[in-house]
Amino acid sequence: MKKILTFLFTIIWPVSQLLAQSTQPLQPLSDTRVFTYAFTHAEIWQDDKTILTDATLIIKANKIIAVGNNIPVPSDAIIYDLKGKRIIPSFIDIYSNYGQPEVKRNDRVRGPQYTTQTKGAYSWNQAIKAEYNSSANFVIDEKKASEIRNIGFGSVLSFQNDGIARGSGAFVLLGKKDEGAQLIKDKAAAMYSFNKGSSTQEYPSSLMGTIALLRQTYLDATWYKTVKERDNNLSLASWNDLQLLPQIFEVNNYRTLLRADRLGDEFGVQYILKGAGDEYLRLNDVKSTGASIILPINFPEGYDVSNPIDAANVSLADLRNWEYAPYNAYWLDSANVNYCLTMSGCKDAKTFSKNLQRLTSTGLSSQKLLKALTVTPAKLLKIDNQTGAVKKDMLANFLICKGDVFKKDGLILENWVGGERYIVNEDDSIDIRGTYDLKAPEGKIFQMEITGSKSQPDVSLKIDTVKVKVEFTKDILQYTFRLEPIKGKGYARLNGQFNNSTREFTGQLQMSNGDWSTWSAKQTSSYVEPKDSSSNNLNVLAPSFSGLTYPLSGFGRTKIPDEHPVLIKNITVWTNEREGILKNADVLIFKGKITKVGSIDEKMLKLLGLEVIDGTNKHLTAGMIDEHSHIAVEGDVNEGTESITAEVRIGDVINPDDINIYRQLAGGVTTSHLLHGSANAIGGQTALIKLRWGKNAEQMKFEGADGFIKFALGENVKQSNWGDMNTIRYPQTRMGVEQVYIDGFTRAREYQNRWTAYNKSGGKLQLPRKDLELEALSEILNKKRFITCHSYQQGEINMLMHVADSFNFRVNTFTHILEGYKVADKMKRHGVGASTFSDWWAYKFEVMEAIPYNGRILHDMGVVTAYNSDDAEMARRLNQEAAKAIKYGNVSEEEALKFVTLNPAILLHIDNRVGSIKEGKDADVVIWDNNPLSIYAKVQKTFVDGVCYYDATEEEQMVENIYKEKTRLMNKSLDEKGKGANMGKPSYKMEELNHCNNKEQLPH
Amino acid sequence: MIKNICTTYLLFVSAIAFAQNPAPADTATKRILLLGGIAHVGNGTVIEQSAIGIAQGKITFIMDGKGFKPARNAFDTIIDIYGKHVYPGLIAMNTVLGINEIEAVRATHDYDEVGNVNPSSRAIIAYNTDSKVTPTVRSNGVMMAQIAPVGGLISGQSSVVELDAWNYEDAVYKMDEGIWMNFPSTQIIKASWADTEEEQMKRSAKQMQDLTTLFEQAKVYSKNNKPEVVNQNLEAMRGLFNQTKTLYVRCNFAKDILAAIKFCELYNVRMVLCGGADSWMVTEELKSKHIPVIIERTQNLPRRDDEDVNLPYKLPNILMKKGVEVAITDEGFWKDRNLPFQAGQAVAYGLTKEEALQTITLIPARILGIDKTVGTLEDGKDATLIISEGDILDMKSSVVTHAYIRGKEINLDDIQKQLYQKYLKKYKID
Repeated sequence: MKKILTFLFTIIWPVSQLLAQSTQPLQPLSDTRVFTYAFTHAEIWQDDKTILTDATLIIKANKIIAVGNNIPVPSDAIIYDLKGKRIIPSFIDIYSNYGQPEVKRNDRVRGPQYTTQTKGAYSWNQAIKAEYNSSANFVIDEKKASEIRNIGFGSVLSFQNDGIARGSGAFVLLGKKDEGAQLIKDKAAAMYSFNKGSSTQEYPSSLMGTIALLRQTYLDATWYKTVKERDNNLSLASWNDLQLLPQIFEVNNYRTLLRADRLGDEFGVQYILKGAGDEYLRLNDVKSTGASIILPINFPEGYDVSNPIDAANVSLADLRNWEYAPYNAYWLDSANVNYCLTMSGCKDAKTFSKNLQRLTSTGLSSQKLLKALTVTPAKLLKIDNQTGAVKKDMLANFLICKGDVFKKDGLILENWVGGERYIVNEDDSIDIRGTYDLKAPEGKIFQMEITGSKSQPDVSLKIDTVKVKVEFTKDILQYTFRLEPIKGKGYARLNGQFNNSTREFTGQLQMSNGDWSTWSAKQTSSYVEPKDSSSNNLNVLAPSFSGLTYPLSGFGRTKIPDEHPVLIKNITVWTNEREGILKNADVLIFKGKITKVGSIDEKMLKLLGLEVIDGTNKHLTAGMIDEHSHIAVEGDVNEGTESITAEVRIGDVINPDDINIYRQLAGGVTTSHLLHGSANAIGGQTALIKLRWGKNAEQMKFEGADGFIKFALGENVKQSNWGDMNTIRYPQTRMGVEQVYIDGFTRAREYQNRWTAYNKSGGKLQLPRKDLELEALSEILNKKRFITCHSYQQGEINMLMHVADSFNFRVNTFTHILEGYKVADKMKRHGVGASTFSDWWAYKFEVMEAIPYNGRILHDMGVVTAYNSDDAEMARRLNQEAAKAIKYGNVSEEEALKFVTLNPAILLHIDNRVGSIKEGKDADVVIWDNNPLSIYAKVQKTFVDGVCYYDATEEEQMVENIYKEKTRLMNKSLDEKGKGANMGKPSYKMEELNHCNNKEQLPH
Repeated sequence: MIKNICTTYLLFVSAIAFAQNPAPADTATKRILLLGGIAHVGNGTVIEQSAIGIAQGKITFIMDGKGFKPARNAFDTIIDIYGKHVYPGLIAMNTVLGINEIEAVRATHDYDEVGNVNPSSRAIIAYNTDSKVTPTVRSNGVMMAQIAPVGGLISGQSSVVELDAWNYEDAVYKMDEGIWMNFPSTQIIKASWADTEEEQMKRSAKQMQDLTTLFEQAKVYSKNNKPEVVNQNLEAMRGLFNQTKTLYVRCNFAKDILAAIKFCELYNVRMVLCGGADSWMVTEELKSKHIPVIIERTQNLPRRDDEDVNLPYKLPNILMKKGVEVAITDEGFWKDRNLPFQAGQAVAYGLTKEEALQTITLIPARILGIDKTVGTLEDGKDATLIISEGDILDMKSSVVTHAYIRGKEINLDDIQKQLYQKYLKKYKID
């Protein structure tokens, strides 16, 4: 039986059966060489799980035709004996720009560009390029290919990283032969990002605008394939074609990773997410996306903290990230997140290899790393039947190595790509390093030392007591030495061969005077590897995952503070209710609610874990509510490109890590209304958050709150202060602003009618296109979404109320509303509220008649009046702003406090939940050490939902801990620097604070 | 006993018809007695029931007023201010008040001359005594201001003015007393809009070279009283080297502060640090070199994510307890009306109320070299003072009812009060 099998196997496999056939015509002399190769006696890692010893691999053309133990070698095979060597599948990078042309950047037109520059029947937006076909643009780049082949890659997903929808990526090999041979899969994945890249079109300018654009494109694409009566759009057609492929989405931090995943969820798409390497910061959230992640391993550079004054600029978060980021992959792995690795982000191939080796010291086994570079990426692209393992019928993509390539002593010898051999390192087992006695003419003996690395040794010669550096080159089988001139004597040159068994050099020598002679050098002692001093190895003490704080900054905590019953005794309570100010009262907080206000005997309470706080000489108020805030927003607060951007949503871009959340808790703020800016007449949808510091973006959202939208009037909207380039967008006058609103609402009304008609038609009418902008405006018409409108001058305030009346809805709030006092009676009649500044003016022409008595007049006229901040600094002392209503206009203390608590709650429709101290309301309360309207009042504790998120005593402890932790990390940085690690210059990170119209750097 | 009670309210009600700034007060001729007020002298002393005499624009006496019986005909006016607070007139340093009217309107900007080196530019020339903003600042107790230009490496010269005048000559209290410099920063900034590290370093090196050259030349120039070729910029800098002019150095980063101190030492000029957000890191140097610090706003955000959230509030106390002289300012211009609150903010974080008061009265006067005549309520000094219903440092109680500049009673009306009255009338409220 065995003999028969052997016989069968010795048959030569016909070429045509296996070979990928080419259409390339052959030119004489064709020199076609098709061989079968057999690799014998190798240790073969077929994949991360299957390891064969003393095994054979047989390949022909670009395929593996057999692999296993005891496999007969075909008679016509070229045999490589790989005893002592290892074969592993070659690496796959599914996030690469290899072979793609450089992104062409269009010249920016003078001034704003509101329409696309792409010519043809494509998307209206220049950043939607679903039609881009990477395989059509793929060109071999041997220089780059050899660079990445040399570190073990055999194939990549090649795509052009430009635009929001980037089209398709092609799966290609890294070989030299023609493109047709390298292109394995034409359309292997569809690519996306939140980065508009080379697009010069204005829209979208913000992250939320980008998300809105993608959302609308999904809707449009679905509609496009459903209906018949429509224009053609090649981008949407391509978009639809690509939907069945793996969908790869690039993000720039873990927060956008979560955003991308949520976007995918809306449309039933599970993206593969190209991460940023910071996923560990919210591991659980990342894990719960269920997404596979393409991980870069470009670990952050540390900081040179040698100068203590410079070093003060390095944040604890940056230092921690430097320490933690290399563990990202390990922690993701421990959490069973599916991931693969990419070279993308590493500054060069060498860095990737170095960092890959670093990963093993974080606790990842070589098998796991191999999996993340072979099996996993192949599976993600659904090509694991073709590549990613050393198995029969798969592509002949594998590495021949010595040792473990994921460790320092490992070495890649050969990289076989599509059956083509590429030699990476010579199998040079000869190590010439050591100490030698060099015998020179006239019986002179010098000591020669060969140190350095095995492949690139350093040679020096001791002449008398002086150590002379010797220039050293290695030719095929020969070595050349050149001695530096000694005291003007000129050069001496040596040529020699090395006998490894006797450990001896022998050869010819030409003296500096030109005389020839012979020399020899015998090894006297072997080379001793110096102790490892490179920064390659991480400290033995790995950072513990449980020590991570949320967020990573110094004021983050390892976990959210406990929610437990709290009784505050004997305190002055500003109820904001009919009871007014209660002296010596008690307040019980239980299960996140204000459970009782009045006189409470704690002995009667049998509550587990009850905390009793002595409130003697202290004051308790409801938490401040900031009706107009721009903190905690990522990627710009303005989608200030087009005049109506009702489709964008601040809720998409909440940044829970913004330090201003914590700082404002320290000022007694518990709820913030995050607004779009005021750069356009109809801005975006707002988000209402509670300042639950440490929680994630979704957990911060105020549950069940009504939706609001930002409108704006006046100078910002008509671009008055944007410079002379910005004079073409409609409107440029207050006249035009009115027309924008009438136009918008008229279109929204028609849109609604269209849908009503369609719904009644029983499918007879064509499905109308879903338009997210008009949906939002329809919600306003249907009293499901409410307006807060940036406003200054009386005329425009009047106008908007009339527009609203004519469309039969009510403007909810005028924000800023500095001339509200001039039309207070009309506002009262319309039923609109006011959210104003206490005393701001003179910052632009339209506020020259602003007065600090505005709040008082509005309040007296029966308009619900609030004071807001629009400013991260001012929000820390809204209580003081409220006190200005006493100074300017004699508002009573009790009423003044309501300007920043109850009244904004009413304006935001959340006064049933917050804004006063009333049994049953949320326990969002602040304890002050003084009358809360005094400049001398300090916040002692701030509770949100009964959880103490700010405590003045704890804050002092935190500052202390930050100091200690920074000191530890700086010492570690200095250690690493001493060992030769690359360290960056500490720089000062400028905080980019958001105001209403950021774009122009003009406040408000 | 009480002959006469002036009410400023009457004054401004009568001004409504004009809808413009009130006229500057006439020269003081009256002898006034302020009786019973809680006097915050400005040097740390508080007199609970004071008697303050004013004649010919000067404070003739200040004493314990309990049982004080004025001599017959000793005063033209006696004002009972029992329970009210009396303070020296506040001094707003480092402000563009009067040289900026509307932030967003370029036509109203007169604070930033073109070019990088402008020591000869004089803020006083552009100072508009008819600014609509000034009376609103004055209403809150600010009686004097240091009008200072901004921009470039050397912005120009500042002057001290009184906030009640017909024209700039009238207004000026100390002419061209200092030169303002933005010290080149060697701190590398990381931000989306920032230049590369290399470009930043190149720029600061170039700026430093320009400054060094300028100062070297200016110093040599200053030794020659009759230069062959006259240079206006170098002429303006003469005063720096004989210490008749102060060099106000704007910088915030610790390393820049240290460099600036070294620089000023090298040229032997009198330095005042302005900004100094990081000055808490270098208190020893500031103290030993006797360099006062003008803090721009206490109501500020920490500069770094890890800093104590209250650090800007604590800064004045940190410096003062280390023996560094501290003045506090606001962002300038219309925000100067909140000057007393910028000082008040530091009280909950370490300063006493009287120390806080000094940061906007006596210390500015000292830095400006006018403390012999203003800055405290003391015999012989100008009768530049204010009276408030309550604690002026706390917005809850800070209502200025009377103000005097060199004994002249100031009309505290302003355009905002006029508009207020106008609309109270329209709505028939109050």
